[in-house]
Amino acid sequence: MSATIHRSGAAHGSRATAWAFLSPWVIAFGLFGLFPFAFSLAASFTDYSPIRAGGASFVGLANYARALSDPAFWSALGNTAFFVVGTIPFTTTLALALALAVQPAFRGRTLFRVGFFVPSVVSVVVLSLVFKGLYASNGALDGVLRALGLTPPAWLLDPRTALPAIMAMDVWSASGYYMIIFLAGLEAIPRELYDAARLEGASRRAQLAHITLPLLRPTLLFVLVVNTVRSLQIFAEVFVMTRGGPLHSTTTVVYYLYEEAFYRFNLGYASAVAYLLFLITLALAWVQMKTVRPAGPEAR
Amino acid sequence: MTRARRRNGARPWLAAGILDARLLAGLLAGLLAGLLAVLLVGVLACAPASKTRTIVFWQFWAADVVTPLLAEFEREHPGWKVQMEQLTWQSGREKITAAVASGKVPDLCELGSTWMPRMLASGQLTDWSGGVGDLRPQLRGWELCSTGDRVFGIPWVMGTRALFYNKALFARAGLDSTRPPETWEELHQAAAAIQQLGGDARGFGVQAGERYVLFKKFMPFAWGNGGRILSDDLATSAFDSPQNVDALVYYLSLRKVGMLERQDMLDRAFREGRLGLQISGAWLFRSIAKEAPGLRYGVALVPRPDRERGFHASFAGGEVLVSFAAAKEKEGALALARFLARPENAQALAAAAQSVQPATIGADTSAYYRERPNERLMIEQFETAVPTPNHPAWDDLEAVIEDEVEQALYDRKSAAQAVADAHRRIAERIAKR
Repeated sequence: MSATIHRSGAAHGSRATAWAFLSPWVIAFGLFGLFPFAFSLAASFTDYSPIRAGGASFVGLANYARALSDPAFWSALGNTAFFVVGTIPFTTTLALALALAVQPAFRGRTLFRVGFFVPSVVSVVVLSLVFKGLYASNGALDGVLRALGLTPPAWLLDPRTALPAIMAMDVWSASGYYMIIFLAGLEAIPRELYDAARLEGASRRAQLAHITLPLLRPTLLFVLVVNTVRSLQIFAEVFVMTRGGPLHSTTTVVYYLYEEAFYRFNLGYASAVAYLLFLITLALAWVQMKTVRPAGPEAR
Repeated sequence: MTRARRRNGARPWLAAGILDARLLAGLLAGLLAGLLAVLLVGVLACAPASKTRTIVFWQFWAADVVTPLLAEFEREHPGWKVQMEQLTWQSGREKITAAVASGKVPDLCELGSTWMPRMLASGQLTDWSGGVGDLRPQLRGWELCSTGDRVFGIPWVMGTRALFYNKALFARAGLDSTRPPETWEELHQAAAAIQQLGGDARGFGVQAGERYVLFKKFMPFAWGNGGRILSDDLATSAFDSPQNVDALVYYLSLRKVGMLERQDMLDRAFREGRLGLQISGAWLFRSIAKEAPGLRYGVALVPRPDRERGFHASFAGGEVLVSFAAAKEKEGALALARFLARPENAQALAAAAQSVQPATIGADTSAYYRERPNERLMIEQFETAVPTPNHPAWDDLEAVIEDEVEQALYDRKSAAQAVADAHRRIAERIAKR
């Protein structure tokens, strides 16, 4: 009996200690995570405008219906989809190639690793400003192309090249971050497998195909999901470089909802657009997890 | 030892001797006490120490420009203290929106004129009609912050757009650099002559590829030609007019004698001496002085259709001081706004910022502007500049005009079609309200 009370008291004390340590995070998550989530979800069913006196009225699913019938929303969604489809394969492949290149020990390896990683820790705004200058007429890129005898396009002014130009910057700047994640995955693969494969006479290509890539699937899944979520939320680059132009060719979903929220003050409608994007993101992540999740007992 | 380890089995950090229970309790108690102390200090700091009242003032100018003015205000008004917060042009709008939404508004706030229509319609601004009557003959720009006879702000500093031209390129092209173009035809001819120089030289800078700028570039030509956006009562669209179509046809024709670029790139090309003419704002004075002090350039009124017709129109914008209905210190806010709008204070800000002019009528006769003819011309240009209509859906209407003009710039539509479509979409937006 005494032992039971003692154990119960100990368990209670342990729980209290755990909560004491967790409480800062729980409070912060509640205030800055759960509350805005619930508030914006509720706002998405209203005509809430932050600057209108007199509160908001419940409009049901009208905001969602409006978004789904608005050509501007579909155009923004199309641009976002183009961005996602056009960057993720390149970012992933480049990140994996870089990770494979800088994994073996060689002189100056750290320098290369740091060099490839640095762009991903530089502020997106700073990078966007640099690339804006690079893409400008008479900018460095045009200079190189002219020196090669080519006629450069008006990168950010031509509706055909503006979004691809932003995508190229994104691939360049994001690859270093995913390279580090792939490197961690590569380091976790037991060396013995490669030793055994070499003893069996497996070529480097065979080792890559039969050891590296299969064992990297959990890492690949993580990279794909994280990169997809990030790419669907592309905003800062567009805000700094093109403001959605020319001819809305770079207006992404998040930039579209930003304009609705902060230029037209339709916060209820903008919230509905945000939740539509959330559902799309969720669906895509689910599809990726279903298709790329590694087989075997660890997967369950 | 064994018993202690068993007792602490659920708490490995205790069992491992990293922390014992008393130390942990002490740490938590210390943390709690520290938090309470910080809260107490915070509360005491916020509590009024004396009868001094604090005016919270949000504004966009660099602190070193505004702080001396605020210090002078505090000297002159011993009962008031000003707590200034500098906003950025990138995020200021979001911050103000969030403040209005939460009801935690500053007492006095600087707002850009293009934000005013929505704010005026929101019912969130304090009506200052009774407190600014004496200022009305002294300042210009009241239409930016008024609806009918009711005034909801004080014009502080003004901004407009004028024609900047490169004298060196004029000379190279055989043009008289002391005679800037005054009409559409002269502008086109000058741009064509510079464009023909070849190399890096470009005639006229046509802005494209970004939002919230194109409107201010195209509409001066439309307004100058007699074109309008809305009817006087703001109830119907007046955009589909031959005047607006002619203006757009003319604006499109400038592409052939110039370059299409974003505004910052046009400004850069102008500073680098590669661009002959462009319509830009007073911010160029500062950046030219800093980055291209040797540039030979002049500033002129935006050309009008011809000598017998139209006028030198431009975009009339500016910065307005407002207070919110939810503000705590409305009396102090009005006193500070009146102080900042005084001729000498608005002049001090304009001189330091070099991107705006005082809203004071007659400011152009001051010694400062007599010595700076280029900057003085901006004041002259403001006299014939046109403010945007104070319609609650103005942001939408501006976006529609930019959309359609851009479609024409990229040859997706004819000028007539773009103007007709803009008219239809403006009418739809107005009908929704």
